Amino acid sequence: MLCESCHQKPATVHLTQIVDGKVEKHHLCEECARKQGLDVHAEPMDLGNMLETLKGQLAQLKAASGAAPEAGGAACPSCGTTRAEILKSGRMGCDRCYETFAAEMLPVVLSLQHADQHMGKVPRHASERLKTSVEQTRLRRELDQAVAAENYEEAARLRDRIKALPAGEGTA
Amino acid sequence: MTLAAASDSPLSEEAYREAFGVVLSSRVRLARNLRGLPFPDRAPPAVRADVLRQVREAAAAELPVQEILAGTTPLFRQRLFEEHLISRALLEERPESAVCLDESRRRAVMINEEDHVRLQAIRAGLALQEAWADANALDDVLEQRLEYAFSSTLGYLTSCPTNVGTGMRASALMHLPGLVLMNEIEPIIRGLNKIGLTVRGRWGEGTAALGHMFQVSNQITLGLPEGRMVEDLEQIVKELAVHEGHARERFRRERRRAAADLAARAEGLLTSARLMTTQEALERLSELRLGIALGLTKRIGMRTVDRLLLDVQPAHLQSLAERAMDSEERDEARADRLRAELGRRTSRRTKRNA
Repeated sequence: MLCESCHQKPATVHLTQIVDGKVEKHHLCEECARKQGLDVHAEPMDLGNMLETLKGQLAQLKAASGAAPEAGGAACPSCGTTRAEILKSGRMGCDRCYETFAAEMLPVVLSLQHADQHMGKVPRHASERLKTSVEQTRLRRELDQAVAAENYEEAARLRDRIKALPAGEGTA
Repeated sequence: MTLAAASDSPLSEEAYREAFGVVLSSRVRLARNLRGLPFPDRAPPAVRADVLRQVREAAAAELPVQEILAGTTPLFRQRLFEEHLISRALLEERPESAVCLDESRRRAVMINEEDHVRLQAIRAGLALQEAWADANALDDVLEQRLEYAFSSTLGYLTSCPTNVGTGMRASALMHLPGLVLMNEIEPIIRGLNKIGLTVRGRWGEGTAALGHMFQVSNQITLGLPEGRMVEDLEQIVKELAVHEGHARERFRRERRRAAADLAARAEGLLTSARLMTTQEALERLSELRLGIALGLTKRIGMRTVDRLLLDVQPAHLQSLAERAMDSEERDEARADRLRAELGRRTSRRTKRNA
């Protein structure tokens, strides 16, 4: 993948931003990233600090949501866990909480994990559609990397594999 | 178990030192939850009991040794904790919690810890890929019966967002006295943190690593396939082991007198003391272990030291003695055991003849 700013060098800085609740992604080379004032060598947090950071982030969100309270969504319809309880403990109440509080949780997950897409194992019982969706995302990213590395043979092979997948989630 | 994994191995002393001198064991843990049910901390007792039943049934064929933890003694749980078979969270008596083990105790499932299911596989030495393969296979067996909470974007959904995605924590238990004694460990830990790895002491609180034992693990769980995460970690652990080897060699060469003194002093205390705390035992055993690795101590085998690293811990000591002991009794029993295991045979013979 080439830098979206200069279109010359490979993009090595992948920036994910949340602007007005929308996820925006930018792919830049190191030079252009620096020009835009980004600290390209920002240190990831160590695990011991992650929970503290998580709580800090949740507290910030709490302050923000206090200023503009969203309608509904204050308690998970499945387990009854409230936003306040999650803010306090840093723990989700059930799998459904991730959907219920998606607007708050997604940025937190992003900042903790530096990623927003699962690329690993998929449970056997998951629907074919779900399996295809994860596989498709994984192949697309590999394709991006192959193109960035100018490995066109590999890119063509990956493109064929993506085409061969049955229609899954996120397919246009 | 992370320690026992190595000391159970049938290798010769020389091969043992070569294989486990720096990396003692590899471990892969996977966090899973059942779909549509509240996580253990939010679940009512009936739900937790249902989870307990379902997971025990799903694990029964692979993990026949099943211990319900509620109602057991703190000493019983402490022993499992020392073996790394249950987490610190399960030291407390959590309702409807259990651990399921196979006969070798190398594969385990904790039920109703922070997540419904926490499964782990341990291998001796540096064998992260194999540990991942074991954990993955065990997970395959469980998911034949269990329906996991899973999202196409966030992967396996866990109680804490620091575990979402793969739910995987892979770690290697490393003995790094060379890097500590040569004052090189701090920048290395900072460097590893920068590339998304965590380094923690195996024993003790915070960053102080008692007995120079460290656990190196991945901190990011989302965004890469498990195989890649494990491969990356294994590569780093290998490099770290090479650094440790060089640091030990420099310590032996550049600080020859200090190295000889450290090993001899550790052996002296371990074979003479009449009272010894857990902390002191772990520290001296670590120094003795380094002495053995550097060829400064030839009389004692590394495997013996590794077995003792586990056996001198409070719950193991009391299980071996088959009775509960107060703190001073434990320190005496620990010192007795160390002398019996590490003392010179001649002195024991003399004692018997006397």
